[in-house]
Amino acid sequence: MTTGTDTVRSVTSQGHYAGSVSRFLAYAIDITASSAVFALALAAISYVARVVTGHEVSWNKGNAVVAAVFIAWQFLYFGYSWAASGKTFGMAVLGIRVVMADGTAIEPRRGALRSVVFPLSFLLCGLGFLGILVQRERRALHDLIVGTAVVYAWDARAARLRFLAREASGHHGAGGPELPITVRATIPRG
Amino acid sequence: VDPIDRLRSAGRRVTDPLETLAQHVAERVLDLIVHTLDVNALLQRVDVNALLDRVDVPALLDRADVNAVLDRVDVDALVSRVDVNDLVRRVDMDTLVEQTDLGAVIARSSGGAASEALDAARSQAVGLDQFIDRWVQRALRRKHPAPAGPPGLCSGGVGP
Repeated sequence: MTTGTDTVRSVTSQGHYAGSVSRFLAYAIDITASSAVFALALAAISYVARVVTGHEVSWNKGNAVVAAVFIAWQFLYFGYSWAASGKTFGMAVLGIRVVMADGTAIEPRRGALRSVVFPLSFLLCGLGFLGILVQRERRALHDLIVGTAVVYAWDARAARLRFLAREASGHHGAGGPELPITVRATIPRG
Repeated sequence: VDPIDRLRSAGRRVTDPLETLAQHVAERVLDLIVHTLDVNALLQRVDVNALLDRVDVPALLDRADVNAVLDRVDVDALVSRVDVNDLVRRVDMDTLVEQTDLGAVIARSSGGAASEALDAARSQAVGLDQFIDRWVQRALRRKHPAPAGPPGLCSGGVGP
């Protein structure tokens, strides 16, 4: 599934500006997770309303109230996550986090502000995200406005040790269940 | 007065200064020899292995009271003089994990399928990030490398 080259590269990347793939994947996970939670909440409310009133309650996607609540939920989801810990669920999965431009921990106020400014990058036909690709510090428009950056922050050294441990365990066959290791081809260096 | 005593006394008066003189001469001669002696050259001619072969180490150890020696060692003072962080930095953890059963222990305690999948996903995402970044840098024909990370997290490093 992973190789020593990958883990070495990841160890040396810790604290570096996170790239477009990691950030996009994290965002995709967040949107999926937050939408799923919202849908579950609507279903729960519908169920309670049906039990209490005896009438079927259905939510129309075009309903302005539902849309407004969904947007507010998105602000809450991202704003609270960034303000509280500098990372959302998706960012935690991908091992990235939001920090101040100088590398210090994000201020809660900036985290909340980032969620407010974040849609700006969408509203400009997505051009606000171009900064992740072309800007020297891989900062999107909302990062530049709020004064934040996104960096790799997972414990890649521990991951490397786990990888070596799995490999050593596989070679030694030291009792216990053998851990499967699938080696993939390393990404070409251009 | 015993004539033998008188003779002994006279003898001592002669032998004592002579003895002192001989002592000074011997010291001076030894001093000169030591100064003129090339100890390194002398040691090169000594077959240390042969010398060590003749030493009965177990007998030597039997004669030494190791516990008494250890009792006299101030371990706390000794440890306080050791830079443990430097020592730990010099440990090659990768080799340690690869060549000992420590790897199996870590694998059993933390190597769940979920953590393996997560490690792999993150590593591959980092690889793809760097792959795309290299092509973008190439397309933009940047001469100066971009900073690798924020100054507080990466001191002076540059990107790939």
